[in-house]
Amino acid sequence: MGSASLLEIKRSIKSVQSTMQITKAMELVATSKLRRAKERAEQTRPYHKALQEAIAQIIRYESTAGTSFAEQRKNPKTCFIVVAGERGLAGGFNNNIFRLTAALAEKCEGPVCYLPIGKKAIERFTYEKKEILTDEFVNISSFGVSKSLSLGNSIAKYFLDGTIDRAVIVYTEFVSMLSQVPTHSTILPLSPEPESDGDENVSLDDDPIYECPPDDMLKQIVPNYLGGSIYIALCESFAAECGARRTAMNSANKNAEEMLSNLSLSFNRARQAVITQEITEIVSGADAL
Amino acid sequence: MNTFHLEVVAPDCTPFCGEAERLLVKTTEGYIEILSNHTDYLATIGTGRAKITVNGKARTASVSGCFLSVKKNNVKLVVNTFEFADEIDLNRAIRAKEKAEEMLREGLDKEHKAKAEAKLMRAVTRISVAKRK
Repeated sequence: MGSASLLEIKRSIKSVQSTMQITKAMELVATSKLRRAKERAEQTRPYHKALQEAIAQIIRYESTAGTSFAEQRKNPKTCFIVVAGERGLAGGFNNNIFRLTAALAEKCEGPVCYLPIGKKAIERFTYEKKEILTDEFVNISSFGVSKSLSLGNSIAKYFLDGTIDRAVIVYTEFVSMLSQVPTHSTILPLSPEPESDGDENVSLDDDPIYECPPDDMLKQIVPNYLGGSIYIALCESFAAECGARRTAMNSANKNAEEMLSNLSLSFNRARQAVITQEITEIVSGADAL
Repeated sequence: MNTFHLEVVAPDCTPFCGEAERLLVKTTEGYIEILSNHTDYLATIGTGRAKITVNGKARTASVSGCFLSVKKNNVKLVVNTFEFADEIDLNRAIRAKEKAEEMLREGLDKEHKAKAEAKLMRAVTRISVAKRK
């Protein structure tokens, strides 16, 4: 043990400390972003629910006519709208989503294409050379309401002109600070049963007056509904990403602390050893005189 | 005066929630005024002016799309954008109008043209609502 190893330990202590500063900062940033993302997701819920109810009502009314948006096609081409993160360093967040997507894609009967949202998703599907509808949605934090609505519009158009026959949105649901679950929901074709639960007071016999033909109304409402679904999924996913990153960074901090305490222990031991050696040398030198 | 429960729902907020006496909106078929105890009703709405009357006081707003539903004296106005006249940023609306006009002048394909036209329509509505208040 010489001063060389002392220096080395000192250097690694410094590097661990500076990494810890970064992970600590990232944890704080993720926590504050998480709160905002959760609020945003909550605020979108009433809008989404209202649209869902209206669509369910129209579809029930129109069930005999067969609405264009509820049409179940044979050998359907499925489009997966995959919402992942912009960055890594969030534990298994991105990987879990891709694993779920792959499992779902395997189960599909017809051909499959992807609409990735978030830089990581785009990178992944480009690397795997999958069919991608568009790769313009790199940035999640700048993905606002109006962008979601226009994306909803384009998806509705793809569905009507037959480019896609099914649309499934895959995203991570924010359950709690510690648990984020990858989930999926089929947004097109519309299912006649409303997805929302606990809505018992809707009865079939009191149909309202429709200002224009129900199918025309669906054409206007459905794109907004899709946009709303996408926006909610985005907010949820962003909150989940922040949660996952917070957890990952938290454990990184804990690891760093542990490493630091080990390193400072061995630093002190090495320093002690150096001192002892020096004393021995001096004493034996004095003896020799 | 008789009132009904009105809720205005936008994607990112709830601009209005409470009892109202009258609601005037522009559906895709034309203007309609809802009073209390209106029969159940469903209509899509376009871009236009809306007027909400509470306690005899009317407030105008600029609205764009989605739909209006009346169910047992519960009225839901689901919108993509909604601003009361005093909340409208007039300068921003004027800028948006100029931008949309410029986009239309440049000559675009069908899809972009429809978008620019919708944008122009929203901007013009905002401006007219803000100036009338």
